[in-house]
Amino acid sequence: MDFSELSHQTEIRDSLDKILNEHCSQELLKEYDSNFKHDASLLSLLSSNGYLGLGLNEKYGGSGEDLYDLGILFERLGYHAAPLSLSGCLVDVAQTIQKFSNEGFCNEILSSIIAGEIYTSAILEPSNQDPENPITTAKIKDDQLVISGTKYLSEISSMAKSVLISANSNEGVLLVLVESDKVKLTELSSTANSPLFKVELDSVRVDRESIIHKKGRGLEALRYLIQVNMVMRSYVALGVTEKMTSLIAGYTSEREQFGRVIGTFQAVSHRAADCFIELECLRLVNQQASINLNTNLDCENDALVSKIWAGNACHKISYSAQHLHGGMGVDKDYVLWRYCLLAKECELINGSASQNIDRLGINLTTNQ
Amino acid sequence: MLIQLNQKQLKLQNELREYFEGLITPALRAELNQPEHFEGGGPEFKKAMRTMGSDGWIGLSWKKEFGGKELSPIEQYVFVETVMRTGFPFPFLTTESVGPMIAEYGSPWAKEEIATKILKGEIIYGIGYSEPNSGTDLASLQTKAIKQTDGYLINGQKMWTSLANFSDYIWLATRTDFDAKNHKGISMFIVPTDDPGFSMSAINTLGDVRTNATFYDDIYVPETHLVGELNQGWSLITSQLNLERLALVNHGPVEELYKDVLKTAQSTKINNDQCLSDLSWVQHNFAQVHSGIEALKLICWKQTWIMESGQLNMAEASVAKVYGSEFFIEAYRLMMEIMGELSILKNDSELTILNARLERMYRTASILTFGGGTNEVQRDIIAMAGLLMPRTR
Repeated sequence: MDFSELSHQTEIRDSLDKILNEHCSQELLKEYDSNFKHDASLLSLLSSNGYLGLGLNEKYGGSGEDLYDLGILFERLGYHAAPLSLSGCLVDVAQTIQKFSNEGFCNEILSSIIAGEIYTSAILEPSNQDPENPITTAKIKDDQLVISGTKYLSEISSMAKSVLISANSNEGVLLVLVESDKVKLTELSSTANSPLFKVELDSVRVDRESIIHKKGRGLEALRYLIQVNMVMRSYVALGVTEKMTSLIAGYTSEREQFGRVIGTFQAVSHRAADCFIELECLRLVNQQASINLNTNLDCENDALVSKIWAGNACHKISYSAQHLHGGMGVDKDYVLWRYCLLAKECELINGSASQNIDRLGINLTTNQ
Repeated sequence: MLIQLNQKQLKLQNELREYFEGLITPALRAELNQPEHFEGGGPEFKKAMRTMGSDGWIGLSWKKEFGGKELSPIEQYVFVETVMRTGFPFPFLTTESVGPMIAEYGSPWAKEEIATKILKGEIIYGIGYSEPNSGTDLASLQTKAIKQTDGYLINGQKMWTSLANFSDYIWLATRTDFDAKNHKGISMFIVPTDDPGFSMSAINTLGDVRTNATFYDDIYVPETHLVGELNQGWSLITSQLNLERLALVNHGPVEELYKDVLKTAQSTKINNDQCLSDLSWVQHNFAQVHSGIEALKLICWKQTWIMESGQLNMAEASVAKVYGSEFFIEAYRLMMEIMGELSILKNDSELTILNARLERMYRTASILTFGGGTNEVQRDIIAMAGLLMPRTR
């Protein structure tokens, strides 16, 4: 048993904070409240400092296959509300390819991701509650695939070289890398102004070689992708809620009413303490899930537990933070409001707490 | 970072499971099912404690000079977890919290006579902290110990002295300096319950757990019975409470109950095709309990790991206490909902399930939210030590 971070992990955290502090000031973030939320210069800075290789094997130029390292990146991106949406690229595409693709795919794609090239995924579908069973279809004709369907909530797709698509076929579930110029993209306007797209595929033809996994391993790869995405999104949630909790502590320790700082009222400090407890639980279940996924490609229950805690923490801490800040909490000149939007996004994308409770409940009662 | 038991610890866990299967005989089980022996204290219980002691299981992490094995706190946690899963009322306050205090701060007599006997399973402690007018504000306690030529004379009354009806000693907090500020005039004593000045009256509680009001009438104890330095008792109390809090919220028993309720739900037919566990609301309740247990397990493991390095963090100890105690209440409710009306049947009913554990557990659950330091104070500590907020008033 060892809950301590390795020294290189603490270094990652500290140096990321240095970079993100500089690039995510209130003034700079304002620019992205209404414009396309993607800071290309920050991305290239992360790339040149090696942070896009977190969680990737050294032989492709990464820093080692450890999802806990990658979790630190997402936690800090969340903590600083960074204008970057990278889970499609660094989690869905990079991690799934690393675990399920041949050496050729890995060499080509992972090293270009580390160099700052953007890839993304399009997994979720409107009106489909079960991403493991895509409505999108792939017809296999000789050595070609013909893919049709509609995906959504795909990140920064307009800048991506290719999009990783999940589809059902007569060979089961497939994960296919499709060049972006073959799909129709429509930008979606959403709560946190994140760069999310609808992706439409109308009989898109691609080579069979675009399937990223060995024959018959598609479902396994898709399940892994969904689980890692849940856990990394929970790390974003951890960063977001950690920031909100520290804002609560800071604000209520200074704001005075009735001649004393409001943090000295038990009603206030206890609500803050409850946020701290929630945060500690979320941190621990995230750690467990990311570490277990390092050695086991299928840890669905751990991933679900982590996303359930993330969904609940996002909701509870967001409203506690707003409430304890009073009007300041909703004032767009203060910092909190952006985190509240991000919290809702983290809470709902790739499975809400209630949806995941349902799924976990089925697993627990039938798999034993 | 490594968040799991290692091979050796897993082996220990298995070894302990087998050991307890042998230790907990039908006679002991029958004794423990009698309300007056819910907390232990009967002849079979005493026999089992001594066997555990002579087999070397109590005090795995204790120093060799006391008869311990000097394993890490993780092994100690595994031991407590496994014994608690069996339902045996292991006196963990004696072995996990008071014992280590005596081993560290006791006089040579106490180390020799008391600490080693705790490890042999021969001694059980009651804790004498609360008084009729000192509960959460423990430092206001009035029980006094007055210095004599070579000892102390003790007078006062304590409340909620659990296990006093069969314990050998009381770990007693007394006031020894009446001019000093509250926290600064307190000293800890080892008080034998066979002293003629010691008496008690039973308090019967909602959970059918007996506790006691205890009375100390001109009890004389020699200097050797003072633990730690005179007037320095408060830090012993807070250290003891930190250890106690972790022991109180051990995740073993609730996980064991969860597994048993799950098995029961999976084998309870509600019609020709379906079991109780096929209902979606039942599945949701199980999922909530499971995700709660996972967090509790990790909190406890982390606390235990922190103990290994010796820097117990106040905020995190309080997180464990608040989260654990409030989760137990929620978990019992969710599991009782699953079993529905069946879960209110008592042990001697015809249709009773799970040995009526649910019926009993929910009645004992509230003790932990106020016992061992009320959760309001724990939240104060979390806000101050964890979030660096100002002290509440």
